[in-house]
Amino acid sequence: MTATALYGNFFYSIYDYREYLKESVFRDLRKKYKRSSLGYLWSMLNPLLMMIILTVVFSSIMKGRVENYAVFLFCALLPWTYFNGTVKSCIGTIRQNAKIIDQLPIPKYIFSVSSSFYNFVDLFLAFIPLLLVMWFTGHPIHSSIFLFPLMLIPLFFFSMGLGLLLAVSNVFFEDTAHLTDVLLRAMYFLCPILYARDMLPPWLVKYVVLNPMFGIIEGIRELLYFGTLPNLETYLLNLSGSVVVLGLGLYAFNKADDKFVYFI
Amino acid sequence: MTASPANAVNTSDAPQFDGSNDVAPAPEQYAVELENVTVAYRSYKERPTTLKETVIGAVKHRKFRYYETFNALSGVSLKIPKGQVFGIIGSNGAGKSTLLKVMAGVLPPTAGSVKVHGRIDSLIQLGAGFDAELNAIENIYLSGALHKKPRAEIKKRIPEILEFAELEEFATTPIKYYSSGMFARLGFAVAADRNPDVLLVDEVLGVGDERFRKKCEKVFERFLASGNTIVIVSHALGNLSNMADQIGLLSRGEFAFVGDPMGAIEKYRAEDYKTRLTQNN
Repeated sequence: MTATALYGNFFYSIYDYREYLKESVFRDLRKKYKRSSLGYLWSMLNPLLMMIILTVVFSSIMKGRVENYAVFLFCALLPWTYFNGTVKSCIGTIRQNAKIIDQLPIPKYIFSVSSSFYNFVDLFLAFIPLLLVMWFTGHPIHSSIFLFPLMLIPLFFFSMGLGLLLAVSNVFFEDTAHLTDVLLRAMYFLCPILYARDMLPPWLVKYVVLNPMFGIIEGIRELLYFGTLPNLETYLLNLSGSVVVLGLGLYAFNKADDKFVYFI
Repeated sequence: MTASPANAVNTSDAPQFDGSNDVAPAPEQYAVELENVTVAYRSYKERPTTLKETVIGAVKHRKFRYYETFNALSGVSLKIPKGQVFGIIGSNGAGKSTLLKVMAGVLPPTAGSVKVHGRIDSLIQLGAGFDAELNAIENIYLSGALHKKPRAEIKKRIPEILEFAELEEFATTPIKYYSSGMFARLGFAVAADRNPDVLLVDEVLGVGDERFRKKCEKVFERFLASGNTIVIVSHALGNLSNMADQIGLLSRGEFAFVGDPMGAIEKYRAEDYKTRLTQNN
């Protein structure tokens, strides 16, 4: 199957199963907030509290190096939380939906797409406290903020791609989730979330930039925090990197598709 | 043990079959056509389930392949005419469920071709798409959406589904609090409402009390009356011989017999008896 066909099928399936995606995203949201009195507020409070804790700890360390550390941090936490959540919830999707897969011929990545959309709602909700923090701390809100959706495309593709790869792996290897935990923790510290690129030793930068998330997070921070437009070349590099990763995920899914039935 | 196709019914194999099927129907009048379907199943023995074990196995014992293939189905050809009830019987491991999965399209055959004319739906596991945390109504929406039905369309069907399942009072109770009978009723009601052209059934008639079972049978009758097809796997031989137009006897992945229900059941009993004798020895 060619890359175009892989992508074509993928996007067509999303369209074809839009009803299911809608229902299952709302189901997950309903389930998440059903028994909590604060409901959807949690999606806003969660990143906010995380930011407050990290700011309390790191702002004194970063003193003089970063102005308004809270916003600096929050801008990077936003894409990271989405990425982390999507990857983690994608891993188990095949096994969780084994009963459906066992009797309904359905494109199996639909369940991972659903997780990704669900985390997207969280990202959207978390954007509100970011704006509040910016306004509260007197940080300038640049008009470049309108380009934010554009920056989300590589984030979406990359998270989805890695999530799909790990979901496939999890069907065959049950320790995938444990390995992913380690991988994600390492990535958290190797991405410019708590710090900026220029605080790293140059020899290290050479390697960490190979991780597409590095560029994606950096781009989003530059846009929201500094108000600088993304360099077109960097953006395209990020985009193509994420397109390749999603392609790999789709390829792995396609390749393993016939075998899932034997393992679940 | 020969793999005889379903249309053998219309030839000398089963001359006693009733007149309406004397002439072989035109190809497009078949609901399901299988041609030479082979499914090489992988049976895993002591498969490493983690990456760690796999790496250790590969490095230490130079072991990469953990499965043996065996043919769950070998060269099965079958034509099921539209509007018929086709029963499948056979002892455990004969390939009945594999055959249903192949028809349902969830298990691609290793060789051969599968053609299904019309929409196919399976009652292999009732309530497969259900979420235990949600209530009946939410689950009806969810499983409808799984079959690409828009919300507005499902909404119209909800009263009828709940009435059939006799769950109007419990419509807003999360289904994790349901009894297994209630769960099965909801599952059946949701599936029956989809009204597919071909329905695959795997021993689900054993659910619910006598009254509900009668209701299910009525649904099947109505379903058949509108020219739809049912493929049913069952161990309830008496029930099956009443319902089915034809029965296929599967034995080790091949059809040992396809034709009139009584003949199939006789043959099954004889064979079953033989296996039991050999097992005892």
